[in-house]
Amino acid sequence: MRRIGVFVCWCGTNIGATVDLETVMEKARQMPGVVFAGDNKYMCSEIGQTLIRDTIVQERLDRVVVASCSPRMHELTFRKTAAAAGLNPYLVEIANIREHCSWVHKDKAEATQKAISLVRTAVAKAARNKPLQADQFAVTHRALVIGAGIAGIQAALDIGETGFEVDLVERTPSIGGRMAQLDKTFPTLDCSACILTPKMVDVAVHPKINLYTYSEIEAVEGYVGNFEVTLRQKARSIDKEKCTGCGICYEKCPSKVDGEFEEGMSKRKAIYVPFPQAVPNVPVIDRENCRWFTKEKCGVCKKVCPADAVDFEQSDQLIKQKYGAIVVATGFDLVDLDEFGEFGYGKHPDIITSMEFERLVNASGPTGGKLLRPSNQEPPRNVVFIHCVGSRDKSRGKPYCSKICCMYTAKHAILLKEKYPKSQAYVFYIDVRTAGKEFEEFHRRAVEEYGAAYLRGIVGKVFPSGDKLLVNGVDTLSNQTVELEADLVVLATAITPRRDAAALGRMLGIGTDGHNYFVEAHPKLRPVESHTAGIFLAGTCQGPRDIPETVAQAGGAAAKAIALLSKETLLSDPCVSNVNESLCTGCLACLPVCPYKAISEKTITEKVHGQERRRLVAEINNALCQGCGACSTACRPGAMNLLGFTNEQLLAEVDAICL
Amino acid sequence: MKAMLQKIRKEAASVLASGEADLVLGWGKGPLWWQSYPAFIEEEKETGSLTWDPFCVPNLSKYLLEELWVKQKVALFLKGCDALGFNQLLQDKRVDREKVLIFGIPCSGLIDPQKVERAGLHQGLHSVEHQGGELVFSYKDDQKKEDPSSFYYDKCLTCRHPNPVVFDMMLGDAVAVNPQERFAAVGELEKQDVSERYRYWERQFSRCIRCFACRNVCPACSCRECIFDLTDPRWLGKANVLSENQFYHITRAFHMAGRCVDCGECARVCPVDIPLTSLNRKLIKDLNELYGEYDAGVEPEKEPPLITFNPGDPAAFLES
Ligand SMILES: Cc1cc2nc3c(=O)[nH]c(=O)nc-3n(C[C@H](O)[C@H](O)[C@H](O)COP(=O)(O)OP(=O)(O)OC[C@H]3O[C@@H](n4cnc5c(N)ncnc54)[C@H](O)[C@@H]3O)c2cc1C
Ligand code: SF4
Ligand code: SF4
Ligand code: SF4
Ligand code: SF4
Ligand code: SF4
Repeated sequence: MRRIGVFVCWCGTNIGATVDLETVMEKARQMPGVVFAGDNKYMCSEIGQTLIRDTIVQERLDRVVVASCSPRMHELTFRKTAAAAGLNPYLVEIANIREHCSWVHKDKAEATQKAISLVRTAVAKAARNKPLQADQFAVTHRALVIGAGIAGIQAALDIGETGFEVDLVERTPSIGGRMAQLDKTFPTLDCSACILTPKMVDVAVHPKINLYTYSEIEAVEGYVGNFEVTLRQKARSIDKEKCTGCGICYEKCPSKVDGEFEEGMSKRKAIYVPFPQAVPNVPVIDRENCRWFTKEKCGVCKKVCPADAVDFEQSDQLIKQKYGAIVVATGFDLVDLDEFGEFGYGKHPDIITSMEFERLVNASGPTGGKLLRPSNQEPPRNVVFIHCVGSRDKSRGKPYCSKICCMYTAKHAILLKEKYPKSQAYVFYIDVRTAGKEFEEFHRRAVEEYGAAYLRGIVGKVFPSGDKLLVNGVDTLSNQTVELEADLVVLATAITPRRDAAALGRMLGIGTDGHNYFVEAHPKLRPVESHTAGIFLAGTCQGPRDIPETVAQAGGAAAKAIALLSKETLLSDPCVSNVNESLCTGCLACLPVCPYKAISEKTITEKVHGQERRRLVAEINNALCQGCGACSTACRPGAMNLLGFTNEQLLAEVDAICL
Repeated sequence: MKAMLQKIRKEAASVLASGEADLVLGWGKGPLWWQSYPAFIEEEKETGSLTWDPFCVPNLSKYLLEELWVKQKVALFLKGCDALGFNQLLQDKRVDREKVLIFGIPCSGLIDPQKVERAGLHQGLHSVEHQGGELVFSYKDDQKKEDPSSFYYDKCLTCRHPNPVVFDMMLGDAVAVNPQERFAAVGELEKQDVSERYRYWERQFSRCIRCFACRNVCPACSCRECIFDLTDPRWLGKANVLSENQFYHITRAFHMAGRCVDCGECARVCPVDIPLTSLNRKLIKDLNELYGEYDAGVEPEKEPPLITFNPGDPAAFLES
């Protein structure tokens, strides 16, 4: 017979007020195998843990059930407690009587019945728990950072500073990300390039940071401490070693296309450097638009290059590398405005996004920093800004708040007034949200010192009228319709994760939410970790945020990665799947469902009636398996069994709960 | 009919004589008119006992599971529905295609003895065979000719693949394919409200005697040890109660999802006439609607819907 101890936690009044814990303990004492039931106001406290430790020893407990909060909170705590008293940590079971019971019920009698049932379930499972041993494995002391916006740059610098090798992978030809496109930054109005460029240069010269621009992740295998990643370094068509960055090539190139960095508002060449401060300052040939690659003629760049750096023969390179930790920092895109016909985006050149506005006021932008109407290159006088375009819009856009738009629009209103003191900014808003250090003050300045007119309301339609734009809206405070004549309309467009974020997430085995933001392991307590051990999140790929928050989070992600890289070895989680070879038919239905590629096939030989038979069975790589259980649901005959959650344990739980 | 029988015997004799196969799986005649049973032929001289008549309904492919361990190469005859089942075994990696020689039999439909009995044609009946477009019933000194259409098995009426989709050699010309709509019964059930439907299935499952014939005959049920036979853990209780019957059927139906080839064998062998076809077809229909058309058993190389991850798969649970 087992000797099971049940430890019931009051969690102050969190549990104690809703569940009659005396009754729970009394019932627990009658459950099969239970030899002890005790309680404490806070079982996770030092006194509570001491109670558990002492009781394990005094009562010679061989299984422990803690009836408390979610195992995601304190399972690890109580496992350590049990281990300290000499018990295998995997012999501890948690009955979640807080999140699953006291927090969601009001009726004390009912909640008490449910708590008893949950304890009975945990006791039934605990009785079948087996001691499990964690394996040790070595850690690769090298980090990978994906995406080189401000988040990736900061994370790479922080990791590199501690002496670990970092590979920073950026898809576009230069690092810098969105921040490189911005003009001034709220709330201090310092120039974005002035604070970003030094960091970009630091990355370029850092002895521990290896930069892979114009590169992407091709495949990810392995597991925490030992990820195996294949990078594709796309052919730049320029020999980086020879190029001096003189720029003659792109001066002479005859092929022009819309420039991505300028949001399509000016042209770049087929051979180009995306912006003057680009790192590395080495051009790239966009082969889709280069005449040499499309029509096999031209070759002007090659002829004019004094360093003979142009190399049409270059091909993509696949690079395989092992990493101990990965930081994902792939940033954001803007939502598609096709769905928002009423704002007329794309129908008139003077209707622009906020990002385009950033470029129009930027000294290195298409107008050299002169804010001019795209339609006629005249200075604008009346400018209408519209908040929440695609944000907080359940039906057509994103239900969430993009968080930065209130602030950058206030910034835009200020910049407008500074450029043209006679101009007038009108801002249509739903709410103004300025929670942040110095944010409210900044917004008030836009209103009080710079005279921005804020109109609470919704814009119904923007349409051209003569050489102006007419903006029809409702002022919901006065309940009056307003019609404004504008020279320029700026749409504060909602931000979304990169369009291919979900695909990258699948490659990495990390989850995305309904909007494709990467999901953190815990919204409060583990905000920079993904659900997959060893993969961390930084910046806007995890949710909308501004630069200071992005940088802080990147530092946090770097700290987590550093803590991991500093370890020589790691302990594996022993809750992995296990193949019962005598049941396994070798159908391999489990293989494609495993998100961590932990399953392979192998041939075994067995003797049946004196005959040697060779047959296929599934095999688990314990280091790769994350214990998700997908395989065990795919396996029809029940040959796949997840240790810690075996079929036997789960059935015992079902029986106990249905009792 | 006769011509096919001759071909069957000739091919069987030839592969055994040449040593190309060391076992032939076919059908042999039992003592009664409706009895055509699986026959295991190892010697050329026994091939004369092979039969082919409208009652050769058992699918021979599941015997491969055991026979392939002890034989070098097994030759067998597969009708249209049998071939689908064979492909399912292939997909589940339960048979080695290299060790099997398949003779395909295009099948114009087999005869349900119960329908013969119900028509009162069984007294003194000796044999039944197709001749031209007719069904000939032979008695001691008499013959009756009938239109076969009212005697086919239900499963044959909706058969979409009477011509085997996998074979090494086809023994006859392809037959015409014109199945009745197979989801009609499911459609009728879907019209009922949930509680009505629940009661309907309760009534069906309460008849089940858990003989496991449906599972045993099923080509998609090829596990070494079925979970319903395990004792540790014991998934299925032994008590003769409705809930255990329901558990068995719901679980098996899910094990069949995306794998049932709709051969109709389970429903055919059920001694208490449980409409298992409707259960299986409901899942086929739902999967088709959710993940696109998929016809289990037709292309075994194609990844089945439930073990394939497609970024475009519906994920209603994720969309908040
Ligand atoms: C109009 C506008 C004005 C703003 N103004 C301000 C302001 O004044 N002050 C402020 O604090 N914040 C401002 N912000 C917010 C600020 O831009 C963001 O907080 C910040 O840029 C986020 O940085 P990031 O590194 O997370 O993302 P990004 O800058 O988007 O960087 C991500 C990088 O990852 C790369 N990448 C993406 N996918 C991959 C992949 N699969 N493989 C490799 N590389 C990849 C991208 O090319 C990019 O270089 C503004 C935003 C907008 C839209
Ligand atoms: S473990 Fe199960 S699903 Fe995997 S190969 Fe074996 S029987 Fe098939
Ligand atoms: S539990 Fe199974 S599916 Fe999940 S990671 Fe482990 S082997 Fe893969
Ligand atoms: S479940 Fe029935 S119809 Fe489906 S493959 Fe098995 S026996 Fe055939
Ligand atoms: S019912 Fe399930 S476990 Fe049993 S034989 Fe069929 S597929 Fe295998
Ligand atoms: S064949 Fe019929 S009675 Fe037998 S187990 Fe299957 S459904 Fe039940």
